[in-house]
Amino acid sequence: MITINNLTKIYKLNKKKMMELKTTDTQKVAVNGVSLSTKEGEIFGLLGPNGAGKTTTLRCVATLLSPTEGNITVCGHDTIKEGEKVRDNICFLTNEIKLDPHFSPDYMFNFFGQLHGMSKDEIEKRKEELFTTFGINEFKDKKIEDLSTGMKQKTAIAVSLVHNPKVVIFDEPTSGLDIVTARSVTDYLLKLRNEGKTVIISTHIMSEAEKLCDRIAIIIGGKKVCEGTLDEILEETKGFDLEDAFFKLYSEHGTDF
Amino acid sequence: MSGTSVILKKELKRVFGDRKLIFSLFIMPALIVIVLYGLMGFMLKSMIDDVEKHESIVAVVNAPEGFKELASLTGYDQTADITYLTEDEFKAVEDIYRNDILEGNGDLAVIFDADFDAVVANFKNVGDAIPNVKIWRNSSEDYSSEAYSVFNKLMLETYKDQLIANRIGSLEMLNVFNESSENIVKEAKANTQFVSMMLPYLIVLLLFAGAMSVGVDAIAGEKERGTLASMLITPVKRIEIVMGKLLSLCILSGLSAIVHCVSMVVAMGFMGGIMGEVGESGFGNISISVLSALELLAIMLAMVYLFVSLIGTLCIYAKDTKIAGTYISPFYIVVIVAGMMTMFTTGKEVPMSKYLIPVYGNALAIKDICANELTGGNFLACMSGTLLLAIICTVAMVKAFNSEKVMFNA
Repeated sequence: MITINNLTKIYKLNKKKMMELKTTDTQKVAVNGVSLSTKEGEIFGLLGPNGAGKTTTLRCVATLLSPTEGNITVCGHDTIKEGEKVRDNICFLTNEIKLDPHFSPDYMFNFFGQLHGMSKDEIEKRKEELFTTFGINEFKDKKIEDLSTGMKQKTAIAVSLVHNPKVVIFDEPTSGLDIVTARSVTDYLLKLRNEGKTVIISTHIMSEAEKLCDRIAIIIGGKKVCEGTLDEILEETKGFDLEDAFFKLYSEHGTDF
Repeated sequence: MSGTSVILKKELKRVFGDRKLIFSLFIMPALIVIVLYGLMGFMLKSMIDDVEKHESIVAVVNAPEGFKELASLTGYDQTADITYLTEDEFKAVEDIYRNDILEGNGDLAVIFDADFDAVVANFKNVGDAIPNVKIWRNSSEDYSSEAYSVFNKLMLETYKDQLIANRIGSLEMLNVFNESSENIVKEAKANTQFVSMMLPYLIVLLLFAGAMSVGVDAIAGEKERGTLASMLITPVKRIEIVMGKLLSLCILSGLSAIVHCVSMVVAMGFMGGIMGEVGESGFGNISISVLSALELLAIMLAMVYLFVSLIGTLCIYAKDTKIAGTYISPFYIVVIVAGMMTMFTTGKEVPMSKYLIPVYGNALAIKDICANELTGGNFLACMSGTLLLAIICTVAMVKAFNSEKVMFNA
């Protein structure tokens, strides 16, 4: 469903950013030659420390950023040439992208449904399903600004899924959530996988990745240093769990960058 | 362009679905303008009335012969509290009178020379002595200034004429020709002189303020909150998002500006009415033809489009609303200056090229509409200049929306 081929993303640095990063380099390589592919009905995890390039990779998949080199296809559509078709097949949820706090979950759901070209009936049917699943009906008419963090996250997930996308991309989906809400999110990701969707998540919570992901790619310093199932990664790194495997990889590659 | 209409509806609902926003954007500014101008007019009128009703406190020293009769004849003694003093009496209280005028407790002291009548009577030839009249007044006091003005016009000038007539037999001897003047004026222009001077400036200013009040939050605010990005991951084209935003902002800022303008015109009429000088001071109501009204509407719409696209472009480059404010401020000053420049144009014909200058040309055209003087060529020049810049801004805005560096700081 997603094929990333030799993805490289280089940011140009202005003087202000060079000073912030305490570097004399005029550019920063955020992602360096990453290639990977995901299949239908699997949860694929991108693991890595902060600044490793996970979010940049996902943003490139979501067509928000253009690769400096390489290409990405989603459901057979190129992210650069067929951005609109790609966006019609994906949902992308990240903490940096938020819903307008002045509106209710109900209005936002309708709004994004319309932006995806759905009819009223299709929107209502989908709303019924997702609002029931996430328990949003109780607060669907309240303004989003008046909702708790958990309610907002549930609403954001429901709204992002309005068009029933084939590919679900969540950037740190449980970050900042309480344990109950986090569980409801991870349960729903498993449900989506079972429905045959492709789910790709980025996280630095090892236990979450172990529990959720069918396959994992570890990115350090913009480069993919390992990819496979949990067992394959443990075998390759001789780690006793994912965290141990991650630190072995990090000690091996982390200082290279 | 279904994405455009969906975004347009959402933006309008954002404002019209919120009573507080409706009040703060449309009702409160109108009320403030009307109350403020009404209050100013009322206070100004009260001040003028008070000065006019005030009985001037005047001391006349060494009043010459016939002066008292003249005061009675002109009715001056009915409007002023006059104290007649001799030279000796005045010398005793001179400092007190001076201090009273300085402190605003007295208004005027008119001191004739002691031998005023004799010197006047002895004047035979050019070069002979003439008497002196010294007047003490305080120009920083309204009562004193008004007392001086009235005394000068009603008493001193009349008395002077009387003395000249006595000296040469008749005042008619001084008249060498008759003067007759005819005021050839466009009634509409004359009646609305003040309004047509102020209105272009106010319209330009208020349209920009209206666009700014709704545009900053709708673009920079949404970018700052991360809600704009949520629309970028839908299949809707970026140009549709831009058009949806621009259209909604045009409607909202246009409405805001219309409310402001109407309240301003009402307030100025109200102010003029209170002051009781309608038709003379230029506070009169503007009367324009249907064609001129349509031209005015078209110019205002073009300006709204320009301001919205300009502010939208500046806002999209800003990281947050505060930075957006700093980007917009210099343009706000330019708009104020361009609007003000038209207030001080003379009757000289303005070349068509100046109508091409956005904002300044618009203000010129509005001024012409108020005076029923806008030509078709100038109208087209004004519209062309404005729309061209607005389109350039729109293209820049679409480009910015497509730029990952601008949208995601990448």
